[in-house]
Amino acid sequence: MNSREATRLKASEPAAGITDRSLAAWEIVSVVSSVLIAEWILSASAGRSKLVVAIPVTLAFTLIIYSHVLRGETARELGLRLDTFLPALRLLLLPMFVISGIALLIGYLSGARLDFFRWHAERLIVFQLALGFGWGFLQQYVLQSFINRRAQSVWGQGAISVLVTALIFSVLHFPNPWLMVITFVGGVVWAFVYQKQPNLFALAFSHGLMTWVLVSALPPSALNHLRIGLKYFG
Amino acid sequence: MNSKARARLVHILISKSIIEALLIGGVAVAFFFATTNPYFRGVLDAADKKSVTGWAVDEAQPYSRVEVQLFIDDRFAAAAAADQFRPDVHEAKRAGDDWHGFVFNTPALSAGKHEARVYAVHSNSSGARKTLQLIGKPYRFSVE
Repeated sequence: MNSREATRLKASEPAAGITDRSLAAWEIVSVVSSVLIAEWILSASAGRSKLVVAIPVTLAFTLIIYSHVLRGETARELGLRLDTFLPALRLLLLPMFVISGIALLIGYLSGARLDFFRWHAERLIVFQLALGFGWGFLQQYVLQSFINRRAQSVWGQGAISVLVTALIFSVLHFPNPWLMVITFVGGVVWAFVYQKQPNLFALAFSHGLMTWVLVSALPPSALNHLRIGLKYFG
Repeated sequence: MNSKARARLVHILISKSIIEALLIGGVAVAFFFATTNPYFRGVLDAADKKSVTGWAVDEAQPYSRVEVQLFIDDRFAAAAAADQFRPDVHEAKRAGDDWHGFVFNTPALSAGKHEARVYAVHSNSSGARKTLQLIGKPYRFSVE
C-alpha cells in the first residue's frame, strides 16, 4: 500500500481528524440532545403512552455505557466507591446546611407551610427519601460520571468544567425559573465535590435529601411540582 | 483512547443521531395525522353584522355533522354543528346529504372593520386532544 492509499484509507475512517476533546464535546451534546428530545418533543406528543420517551433515554444510556467501556473507565473512576464517601459528604455538608437554611427562610418569609409530605403525599418519608436517593443517583451518574468527566476532557479540571456541568444541569430544567437557579447552584456544588472526591453515593444522598427539603420548605407555586420541559406549561 | 475505540464511538454517535432523527420524523408525522383531519372541506360564504354563514363537511364521513367554532377578530364567539340545510353542497357532491351548512348570529360588534374565521373541530381517536382547522378563508367585513 503506497502512502496515498494509506492517507485515503485514514481519511475515510469516521474518527480521522477528531480529537479526544471534540469527541468528548460531541458526546455531551448527544446526551443533552436526547434528554431535550424526551422533555420537549416526546413527552408532549406521545399522548397517554409514555413508552416512546424511553427510546432516547435508552439511547443515551447505551452511549454512556459504551463510552465508559471504550474509554476504559472503571467503576471506581466513575465514583462507584466507598473510600471517598465520607470526604465527599464532609465537603457537601456546609453547602447543604446553607441552602436548606435559605430555603427554610424563604418559605417562612413567603408564608409557605413546612410540609414534609408535599413531595409524595401518599408515601412514607422513608420511601420518599429512598425514591429521592434512587432518582438522584441516576441524575448524578449522568451528570458527574459522564458530563462532568467529558467536560474535564474538553476544558480540564477546574472552574470551567464545573460551571459547564452546572449550566447543562440547569438548562435541562428549562423553563422552570426557580428550579433552574437551584439546579445551577446545586450543579456547581456537586460538580466541584465530584472533581475533588468522586463519590456518586454521597452525591445521590445529597441530591435526594436536598430535593425533599426544598420541596417541603419552598412555596409549591415556586417549583411548580418540579415540572420541566413542555410539561411545565400544563 | 486508541483509534479503533474512537472509530467505534464515532459510529455509535452517528447511529444514535440517525435513530433520533428518524424517531423525531416519525413522531412528527404521527402527530400531524393525530391532530389534523385532511378531509375537512368547507367555505365561509358571508359575514356581516347579522350573521356568519357557510358550510363544512368531513369528506371521510360525508353523512356526519362537523362541529365548527366562530372567531371574530381572533376571539372565540360561538360554537355550533354544521347541520343547516344546504342542498347546493349535496348537489355539488361534496356531502352525503343536504344538512352541512352553518349559520352563526354575529355578536354585537363595535363600528369598524372586523374579521370572521370559522374553524372545524377535530378530535383525536381517544378524544383527549382537540385541534381547530380553518374552514375556507377569513372573511373581512365592516360594521357601521
